[in-house]
Amino acid sequence: MFEATNELGNLVLSTGGTLNNPAAAAALAVGLAALGAGYAERGIGSAAVGAMAEDDDLFVNGLILTVLPETIVILALVVVFLFL
Amino acid sequence: MSAAGSSNPEYVVARVRARRGSLFGDEEYRKLTRMGPAEIARFMEESSYGAEINALGSRHGGVDLIEYALNRNLAEQFDAILDWSEGSLYDLIARYLRKFDAWNVKTVIRGVYTDADQSAVEVDLIRAGEFDDRRIRRLLEADSVDGVIEVLEDTIYGEPLREAYAEFEETDVLVPLENAVDRAFYERLLSGLGGDEPTRQYEAFLKAEVDFRNATNALRLARSGADIDPAAYFIEGGDLFTRSSLARLAQNLDELVEYIGDSQYGDELGPALRELEEADSLIAFEHAIDAALLAYGDRLGTIHPVSVTPVISYILAKERETENIRAIARGKEAGLSPDEIESELVIT
Repeated sequence: MFEATNELGNLVLSTGGTLNNPAAAAALAVGLAALGAGYAERGIGSAAVGAMAEDDDLFVNGLILTVLPETIVILALVVVFLFL
Repeated sequence: MSAAGSSNPEYVVARVRARRGSLFGDEEYRKLTRMGPAEIARFMEESSYGAEINALGSRHGGVDLIEYALNRNLAEQFDAILDWSEGSLYDLIARYLRKFDAWNVKTVIRGVYTDADQSAVEVDLIRAGEFDDRRIRRLLEADSVDGVIEVLEDTIYGEPLREAYAEFEETDVLVPLENAVDRAFYERLLSGLGGDEPTRQYEAFLKAEVDFRNATNALRLARSGADIDPAAYFIEGGDLFTRSSLARLAQNLDELVEYIGDSQYGDELGPALRELEEADSLIAFEHAIDAALLAYGDRLGTIHPVSVTPVISYILAKERETENIRAIARGKEAGLSPDEIESELVIT
């Protein structure tokens, strides 16, 4: 996972040097943020499902904690509106 | 599930932590020590042991019912953990739970040796290890030690047992067979562990357990003064003793106590060692060792929250709980007072 993001970064740097297209930069920002959020939700989600399996009352807490990393994607969307 | 694929510690740890919360605490133990066997069974029926008490209630009664329910619950809980875990996590947990396989093999061999009834042996088994029901059934159906070894041929116990069998035939004592089983288990326990940080912590914990086991054995031998070769009971893999140092130290109790006091476990076991010197009570020391191991496991579980260590710490705590309840029930049956029973419990 981390190796993959590193390589992606290297690729971006080596091909373009600098990113001149604001739309492409914004797209990259949202995409990477979504990737990070997805990775975070993987761990939290499986822990939440485990906790729910033991105790149904934990459903609400589990749901909230699972979607918390989603906020980082929303913040990345702000970047899109700033540049477009 | 299986040892293939990536591991899923998040899921298993979340479930295990939830279960850990429902283990008995001080308050429950205090209540239990003031109950009779029938009341304990009723109390358990309303706790996480309910299903087992109900399933066995029609066939057994009194302290036996409690004992069998504890065994079955333990087996079911640990089986479930193995069921949930995948990948390297499964491997790490199975390593530890194989000690129940070793226990089962020893129980079956003892049952065959003493001509015990098949059903009497069956209730003493704890089906928490890796052996499936079919192998257990075949083990139970074996009517000679040779037959038992044959069933185990394709497991890690097959070869060491086969080697020990000749000695068993010569002397007709079970010690070589049981040592072979233990050694096969401990060899497998510590071999080929991976290299990341939580696994190293886990390895350190397993080593501590081996060290403690060696220390207890040495103390017992030193205390009893029996003419047994301590090296024959030595378990490989620990840091504290070597085969020769254990053999030497087991001759002299004072030297042994001093050696343990100066070791890396000195801080945890110090008070227990002093008590051992003063009151001469090995039981208190063994309880202190159990408590130290439990506390070690607890601490381990908080250092790397998403790894194998919290699972192991739960397994230890659960085992300790069943042993405590068993001690209470047996103590009640023998007519001990609540205070005496409380001194037998290991609570951290």
